[in-house]
Amino acid sequence: MMGRSERAMGSREEGNVAVEADIGPNRRWPGNAALYWTSTTSIVGGLLIWEIVGRFVVKNALFLTTPTQIVAATFQLIAEGDLQRHVAASASEFFIGLVIAILLGIGVGFAMASDKYAKRALGPWVAAFYATPTIAISPLIILWAGIGIWSKVIVVIINAIFPMIINTEAGLRSTDKQLIEAARCFGCSRLQVFWKISLPSAVPFLFAGIKLAIGRGLVAVVVAELFGSRAGLGFLLAQASDAFNMPLLFVSVVLLAVTGMTLTWLVGAIERLLMPWRTLSERES
Amino acid sequence: MSAKLQVNNLRKSFGSLHVLRDLDFEVNEHEFVAIVGPSGCGKTTLLRTIAGIEVPDAGAVLIDGHPIKGPGADRGFVFQQDSLLPWRTIWKNLVFGLEVNGRLTEANVAKAKKLLKLVGLSGFEQYYPNQISGGMRQRVNLARALALNPEVLIMDEPFSALDAQTREVMQLELLRIWQHGRKTVLFITHQIDEAVFVADRIVVLGRRPGRVKEIIPIDLPRPRDLSVKRTAAFGAYVDQVWNLIENDVRASIDEDTQLPAA
Repeated sequence: MMGRSERAMGSREEGNVAVEADIGPNRRWPGNAALYWTSTTSIVGGLLIWEIVGRFVVKNALFLTTPTQIVAATFQLIAEGDLQRHVAASASEFFIGLVIAILLGIGVGFAMASDKYAKRALGPWVAAFYATPTIAISPLIILWAGIGIWSKVIVVIINAIFPMIINTEAGLRSTDKQLIEAARCFGCSRLQVFWKISLPSAVPFLFAGIKLAIGRGLVAVVVAELFGSRAGLGFLLAQASDAFNMPLLFVSVVLLAVTGMTLTWLVGAIERLLMPWRTLSERES
Repeated sequence: MSAKLQVNNLRKSFGSLHVLRDLDFEVNEHEFVAIVGPSGCGKTTLLRTIAGIEVPDAGAVLIDGHPIKGPGADRGFVFQQDSLLPWRTIWKNLVFGLEVNGRLTEANVAKAKKLLKLVGLSGFEQYYPNQISGGMRQRVNLARALALNPEVLIMDEPFSALDAQTREVMQLELLRIWQHGRKTVLFITHQIDEAVFVADRIVVLGRRPGRVKEIIPIDLPRPRDLSVKRTAAFGAYVDQVWNLIENDVRASIDEDTQLPAA
């Protein structure tokens, strides 16, 4: 790091600016060990309290299961091969729906940002559907599309697409006018302005939209499966609930929570990878 | 000396608001011309017209005697502040103009590297704009405009967002860099002393509608350093320009205070 700023100090006015720029591309901020372990401690502590309460305070297994029982139920389900089947069903419904929702959402958002007629025509619908708990019409979708995979895919799409549309549109619209003007002065065509200015500046919004879409999509797939399915984590949930099998019920709940966390983390990681400039500014502040 | 950039009787109105009226001046080859005017002198419209993204009602902008038709790489722009793209590294920002104009050749890349060195930023290629100071960003801005090797360099209040000390250093740096190739420069500013310090001639604009009030040749020897600012001749030039625009400035302040909602 030092070598770099020393080199830059060639001319005499350079000294003070080089110091300001000492935040190199790969600079690591000193980690705070206590802060780092806070989440882990919190989770482990929470599980411990849960286990103790489940074993010694609320002894009725109908009302409360314990983490160890959930783990045991999970292994049993894996051994029977059921868990894999349910996860595969839910995962395929979820990912097909999510990908379609993201692509379609970006497309519609782009149309609304670039064409005022599209904005006028689609705006009210998007606003109405975004504000409505579209999850409520999933029984209707299942009635129309059957209890196979596609009814669930559709439910995922109609829940995940609206945050995607809204964020894409907002992202494209919020592009700094000064940057667009500068680009045009440099001779950028409209197409170049879109690809080189509007789209990159909308990327953070797209990621925020994807994170929202993941959350809504997960809820959608489970609720849709509750209403009608032959497999999936929602199906498992309904089955367990009917049988008052608490550990089994929690297996799917925990799996969903873990999936949601993992996916959000994954998207965050991709985000940091694609947008190093943002991470750097966040670290500075 | 021949006229490199000609602004010929520009006229522009937006509705009933006359923004420019018969605005007429020229910048000779290798000349450094500054434009000074109170707010409301139509400098934004003038700039957009020279850039080719605004079409005047009458008149024309000519480069080497040829009227401009839309934006083009024959004009290089340095903007007020932060017109660098935050998601591009310094190097990627520097070659942006070359890239969009399809001129990212080996020779031009080599020239761009030299430019980065000239503005004192070698070694900062992989940094992002938010990692460097405002002064450094404006150096990149300048290098980005020069990378296209434009016929005319147009600078729009390039140092207005910098603190006073950095601004002085940057004025000096600009002159140092300018001495290298003596590009034709049109420099727009609100700072009268800045204009006197950098320019060969100052075009003083009047407000609403924007028009040329007076053109003042600045007869100060080059190369100039900051000590020039303490000479009597320098002070006299600053006074002369200030006297020309003082009433206009007061008028614009009055207007701002009387029409807060406008």
